[in-house]
Amino acid sequence: MTSPPPRPSTSPLVSRKPVSGSSPSPSPSQGRNPVSLRLYKVLGAGFEDEPTKEALRTLSELYGATTANGTRATLVNGKATKEDHQDDFDSDDGDSEEDTSEERKLSLGPFLSDEVVAPTGAAAHARKNLKRDIDVKLAGSSRKFLSALGGVDQKLDALQEHITTMRAQCDQAHSQLQTTNDACKSLLDQAGNLRQERDTVASQQSILNLFLARFTLTSEEVTALTSRDVPPGKRFFAAMDKAVKIREDCRVLMSVDGPTKAGLDIMTATSSNLEQAYDKIFRYLTSEFQTLGRGNRDRERSVDPDANLEASPTLKEAVRRLRDRPELLSDALAVLSQTRQSTLLATFLDALTRGGPSGLPRPIELHAHDPLRYIGDMLAWLHQAIAAEREFMESLFGLGREGAGRMIGSVRKFEKGRMGEAEEWVGDMVDKNVGKLSGPLKLRVQQTVRSQESPILANKIANLLKFYELTVRRTIGEEAALSEALREMSDVSNKVFFDALEAQGRALLRVILDLNDAALAPPAPVQDHMQALRDILSMYDSSRLDDSSAPEAEEPVGNGAAESSADYGVERVLDVMIDPALEVCLTAAEEKKRIRPTWDGPVFVLNCLTYLQDVLEPYAFASTKRESLNAMIETRVNQLAEEHYQDLLKDTGLNVIVAAIESKPAGEPLSHVDTAQPHELSAVLQKFSTWLSGLEVMHSPRLARLAVQRLHSQIHQTALARLARTYQSICEEVRKPENRYEAASTLLGGQRPFGQIHLLRQIFGLGDEDM
Amino acid sequence: MADYDADATELLETYDFLMKYIIIGEAGTGKSCLLHQFTHNSFKDHSQHTIGVEFSSRTVKLGEKRIKLQLWDTAGQERFRSVTRSYYRGAAGAILVYDITNRQSFQNLDRWLTDARALASSNLVVVLVGNKSDREDEREVEWAEASRWAAENNVHFLETSSLTGDNVEAPFLLCARSVLLSIESGSLDPDKAGSGVSYGDRALRRVNSSSRLSFGSLSYGRRKKATSKLRLKDYVPGTSNSKCC
Repeated sequence: MTSPPPRPSTSPLVSRKPVSGSSPSPSPSQGRNPVSLRLYKVLGAGFEDEPTKEALRTLSELYGATTANGTRATLVNGKATKEDHQDDFDSDDGDSEEDTSEERKLSLGPFLSDEVVAPTGAAAHARKNLKRDIDVKLAGSSRKFLSALGGVDQKLDALQEHITTMRAQCDQAHSQLQTTNDACKSLLDQAGNLRQERDTVASQQSILNLFLARFTLTSEEVTALTSRDVPPGKRFFAAMDKAVKIREDCRVLMSVDGPTKAGLDIMTATSSNLEQAYDKIFRYLTSEFQTLGRGNRDRERSVDPDANLEASPTLKEAVRRLRDRPELLSDALAVLSQTRQSTLLATFLDALTRGGPSGLPRPIELHAHDPLRYIGDMLAWLHQAIAAEREFMESLFGLGREGAGRMIGSVRKFEKGRMGEAEEWVGDMVDKNVGKLSGPLKLRVQQTVRSQESPILANKIANLLKFYELTVRRTIGEEAALSEALREMSDVSNKVFFDALEAQGRALLRVILDLNDAALAPPAPVQDHMQALRDILSMYDSSRLDDSSAPEAEEPVGNGAAESSADYGVERVLDVMIDPALEVCLTAAEEKKRIRPTWDGPVFVLNCLTYLQDVLEPYAFASTKRESLNAMIETRVNQLAEEHYQDLLKDTGLNVIVAAIESKPAGEPLSHVDTAQPHELSAVLQKFSTWLSGLEVMHSPRLARLAVQRLHSQIHQTALARLARTYQSICEEVRKPENRYEAASTLLGGQRPFGQIHLLRQIFGLGDEDM
Repeated sequence: MADYDADATELLETYDFLMKYIIIGEAGTGKSCLLHQFTHNSFKDHSQHTIGVEFSSRTVKLGEKRIKLQLWDTAGQERFRSVTRSYYRGAAGAILVYDITNRQSFQNLDRWLTDARALASSNLVVVLVGNKSDREDEREVEWAEASRWAAENNVHFLETSSLTGDNVEAPFLLCARSVLLSIESGSLDPDKAGSGVSYGDRALRRVNSSSRLSFGSLSYGRRKKATSKLRLKDYVPGTSNSKCC
């Protein structure tokens, strides 16, 4: 670039020149010369506005570029610049002249010089040739346009041709499409139909799928039901539930539509599946029962009856479901009861002979010498085992809390039909499980019972057995084997008790009483005997309290039966105990009487009888026996009273008169009878009077030996009353005219009680009422 | 197998331990009522004398363990003594009841305790219960006196009311806790017959499914922590599903 350095040097010259040259010129020719006016106008016009500046810049570029490239181009460019410049002017002014434009160019110099740098030579050239340059340039440009457009024209022609061809082809294609479309119409229809069909099929399929899902088991479920690899559990039970549901639904459907092939198929398939499932449950239960029933896990030989006596939920569920197949369930339960039986038996024997860990609690048999404790311990063990067993069974059958078993002291009802099915199973199982225990138990109990000689102990054992018989019966029912065994044991012990009683009675009969013993009290052996009875009765009495204290708890029927049989029992006890005692007393009285006539037999017998009665006195249940004793006493008392009366008659001497009255022939006056002549009569009356003032009137020494004071006075009073009546009848006889007593009143009034009955009764201490 | 274990969800009925208790004390002290209140949560009106022995059961929760209690309610009357004495054997706990309004029932405690100690297993846990605490006006036995007696005889003591149900569960739980402690200390082995305690299905499953040590987590206190640490160690390196088998 060589142009820039000269540009600054020239530009001040150029700029100074027009400014200095033009500024003086306008001042002289102000307002007149049109050229100068024009010039002023031009000069006045600003070139600072953007378009002008832009035009000038383009112009300068035109030339600028040429200077850089070559002289010719510079020239052209310079001209072009000028041209451009003028163009600008033209646009401003409309018509403009060469000169003005020339001048303007000069005047513009200073402006140009700042921006456009043109060599002075080129600028001059440019000023000259601007117009030509521009024309040339324009022509060149136009030619270029022409040639370019000619090419374009050609291309357009070709394009036109292409389009025409295309159009033809398009038309062809269109017509072809039209034909094809027509041809496809049926196909489309077909496709539409097919699509519809497909939709129908799809919906059918979904229905079928739903149906299958509802009415068939998935292979997984079938596996769960039938495979041995899947143990019974949630999955298994769910599959079972489904199978059952399917069958139900199917049955409903078939009941509406009649049997269909599908329905029958489904029924067959599910039923076989279900059967397999039941079989599986059966197998599962059987194996579980075999291990579970064994109690503890064979770790040690010491067995705990309660160890692991718990039914897992799966087990319970399995049992619940198998209840639909009772025959399978009962088979499985048979296995359980077998294992439980042997476990319980082993445990029982352990408790009997081995005791607890390290010997505590002690083995039950350690106390075999104490029969009550021995038997009591065994039975208590049994009771506890039954309770545990029952709980286990109830949990197995899912009879939990709501079952009647939890109520304290409640009595289970064992009537068939009134119990639920599960309850029956439970009862049955408990019965079976503990049934085997009755063997060893019975053996031991009977051995112990049989060796008892004391009726008291035998009775205690019998009561104990009776108590447990009742308890067990309430828990496992009357028909259970164990109840049966207990009843048997109870009977045996009862029999032993009565045997012992009878033996005692017989022993009592064999006792040889000391016949020389003058005592009138019951003999000592009888007293011992009765003491035993007393003990038994008091025991019985307390056991009776049990019955009466729990009447509500017991079934009315059972209660009544128990009561009557118990009463029967005590009746028998009384018979067995009292009868020999009576016999002993009576025979002893007879024999003594024979040997020692002076011995007071009747009083002795009465003493014995009242003693026996006294033993029975506190017990209401002994009333029957007491009644019969009372009757006997009554008779004896009457006899004794009669005897006593005769004695009194004899003592008072009245017997002579009485005999005379009774024996006198009819029609003969009494006074004519030897023994009743007035003199004799007077003597008798005197004797009577003497007797009346004696002690015996109030108190009989003989009767004083009666143990019961009440009887003494009773008999004595009776006798006295009769005596009074006899005296009265004697008085009446004496007063009768036909008996021909002279001064009968005087005769009678000579001695106390002066023929006055009421006086006599007063002396005797009797009331007048019964006169 | 995994399937099966998942199925065996624990229901309410399962338990860790089974314990036998015997309820003793003079007649009329409210043994049956106490038990009724405990098992039924209600007062037993017009209660009659117990005949011989009666049975009931209840499952209680102690911490994380479920314990099934088999309760043997005995008759207090003298004439049943020969029967009830047979039930001490095989009892793990004894609830000895007296009536705070009846001095006589308190004075006879010695006899009952002697019986219990003589007839039951040596590990028998005895809890003394002063019943009828609702009848404060008629009190004849002071709390302090009974407490002293209990301390002298090495038994637990508390007062309850079967009427209001106040404190009724406490003696049973107290007893169970003591039994558990003696199991933990090793002086009582539930596997042995006659101990009055045995494992339930739930405990067994744990014993069988994991190590013997994990049983320790059934009992509480210091050992529990040690055990859980051990278990953690066991399981950390193993795969997540190594729990079963």
